[in-house]
Amino acid sequence: MSSVAPVVQNPFRQQFAAFAAGRREPDAIARLRREGLDRFASLGWPTRQQEAWRLADLGALAQIDLQRPADALVDAGVLPTLDLPVHRLTFVNGRFAPGLSRLRELPGQALIASLGQALLTHPERIEPHLERLPGLSQHPFAALNTAFWEDGAFVYLPRTTVAETPLHLIFHATGDDIAVYPRLLLVLEDGAQATVVVEYRGKGRYLNAPVAELQLGAGAVLHYHQVQEEASQAFHLGGVRVRQGRDSQANLHLVSFGGQLARTDLDTLLDGEGASCVLNGLILAHDRQMGDYHVRVEHAQPHGSSEQLFKSVLDGQARSVFDGMIHVRPHAQKTDARQSNRNLLLSKQARANANPRLEILADDVKCGHGSTTGFLNPDALFYLRARGIPAEQARTLLVHAFANDSLNRIQLTPLRERLASSLADCLALGNIEEQ
Amino acid sequence: MLEIRNLHATVDGREILKGIDLVIHPGETHAIMGPNGSGKSTLANVIAGREGYEVTEGEVLFDGKNLLEMAPEVRACEGLFLAFQYPVEIPGVANLYFLKAAVNAVRKYRGEPSVDAMDFWDLVQERMELVKMDESMLKRSVNEGFSGGEKKRNEVFQMAVLQPRFAVMDETDSGLDIDALRVVADGVNALRGPERGFLVITHYQRLLDYIVPDHVHVLFNGRIVRSGGKELALELEEQGYALYNEEPGRARRAAA
Repeated sequence: MSSVAPVVQNPFRQQFAAFAAGRREPDAIARLRREGLDRFASLGWPTRQQEAWRLADLGALAQIDLQRPADALVDAGVLPTLDLPVHRLTFVNGRFAPGLSRLRELPGQALIASLGQALLTHPERIEPHLERLPGLSQHPFAALNTAFWEDGAFVYLPRTTVAETPLHLIFHATGDDIAVYPRLLLVLEDGAQATVVVEYRGKGRYLNAPVAELQLGAGAVLHYHQVQEEASQAFHLGGVRVRQGRDSQANLHLVSFGGQLARTDLDTLLDGEGASCVLNGLILAHDRQMGDYHVRVEHAQPHGSSEQLFKSVLDGQARSVFDGMIHVRPHAQKTDARQSNRNLLLSKQARANANPRLEILADDVKCGHGSTTGFLNPDALFYLRARGIPAEQARTLLVHAFANDSLNRIQLTPLRERLASSLADCLALGNIEEQ
Repeated sequence: MLEIRNLHATVDGREILKGIDLVIHPGETHAIMGPNGSGKSTLANVIAGREGYEVTEGEVLFDGKNLLEMAPEVRACEGLFLAFQYPVEIPGVANLYFLKAAVNAVRKYRGEPSVDAMDFWDLVQERMELVKMDESMLKRSVNEGFSGGEKKRNEVFQMAVLQPRFAVMDETDSGLDIDALRVVADGVNALRGPERGFLVITHYQRLLDYIVPDHVHVLFNGRIVRSGGKELALELEEQGYALYNEEPGRARRAAA
């Protein structure tokens, strides 16, 4: 595999020359792009000899001669809705689609815009934050994103600004053999609050390699939801970086339904005393789908707390990976870090891989982790059937009960309800295809 | 309403039931008593249709229909109920939701429309009173974190809501203190009637002070070795099952 790497890298470098030549943007941004490209070149195309990519089969993706996407139009009717008043920004193939976007009134100095537009109007707000977070430093696709992102969403809420209206960010990809690199930069200053729903979806055989950067100032509160419903032939290799200030709260909900291979690397740095985060992830996969969360929670300051709950429901020959690291630095006393990974297998061919890891360098902390993988409980199935509930309905009920543990943590009701019904569709589809 | 004829059943290839004959008419309550390992729970599970129990001979008819050919859910929809010895915890499924799904499954089977929400709530309220169940238990996940007594009460509550025509109580008394036992027995007695049959399986005579049976059968080593009226339970209480253990012929056969 390693001999393949240089061959695959070349097209990206060639593409980059043409791509970068056409862009008008501040030198600082152009420099970040070149650094991203260089980082990708030094990291190389991932191989299964690398521990972090050991379980990811990128063979099918490596076969594709990935091109930059063409401009495309999508019908507003295919876009997901939330049944709520929202600020909506839509991006098609990584490019801003103003006709499919709608901003409502914003509080005070808040700014919600396409990253490209904001760079023209408010570069001083962006440059101090873009690509400044640690994390994902070893992620080749995050490096590619930094080199190639065309546009994305920029959200900036000044001190104590509370955005009551949720932000709905839709990233739609369409086409075959293309790569899109959407970007999200979210900056919550001290005491700011926001609710964000990010949707990744599309049509065709494409690579989506998004990067989201989430910065929380002291006391900021973020409810972030990421729904991955990529096309069934698509690849999703995304990254999320988070840095939390003192006493900030990050609630991150990640749901993964789509794609043939979907992986999100999530790096969270609790960088202020008393910062807390809840990371709630759910994978639903059937047939030969693979869903993967690589999570790193870094406790850098005392009194932080983190809770990871990652679940997967796997049918057919689907696979899931959960790789979760809790790292507690020596200074981060009184940390309370918990991690749980639970996997439900609906078929004997499905497989869940769990790799929980702890690195605890402080001596006065509470850390716990657990992982379980199993089939539906036959006793529970029989119990339901013995009360008259047909076998198939009983099975569905139990799967929903398992997944609802994750979905019920989502406070945004319209989203939660929509996901519950997507879950039903997804599992029904899996059943039909299995027969 | 329930006819069991020459029923033989194996678990993991081992024969547990070795020819059971039992006929229960509507309105009758039969008790089956026996020591551990005699086959009591196997009989309950075979009647309810649990996987892993293989019937090798004989038949079970429910209102003349071949019960053994029916899936467990069909048996339930036909009016059969098993009160579990070990009720299963089902995290994430609320008790009330589960009960409504069960009621509607039975109604659908009978070609009836789904239950009206208000009617269902009224029924639930009324039946909760019967087993002195707290309303908070409806919102909790099925049996999750319930005490032993709460679980058994929940079984009787489900029975009271589903109103089966025939119920098998599998050691419903085990692990109950006397107060809980009374509540459970009161619940069962309230449901007794000319159209309804009960098969009460127990290890202890104590339950039969509260649920007074019409007939008592002693199950030993996979066979009914004795049948009689309610006084048989008292006799067993005094003499224990040792009598049957010491019967030389049976003991030899059991060892074989």
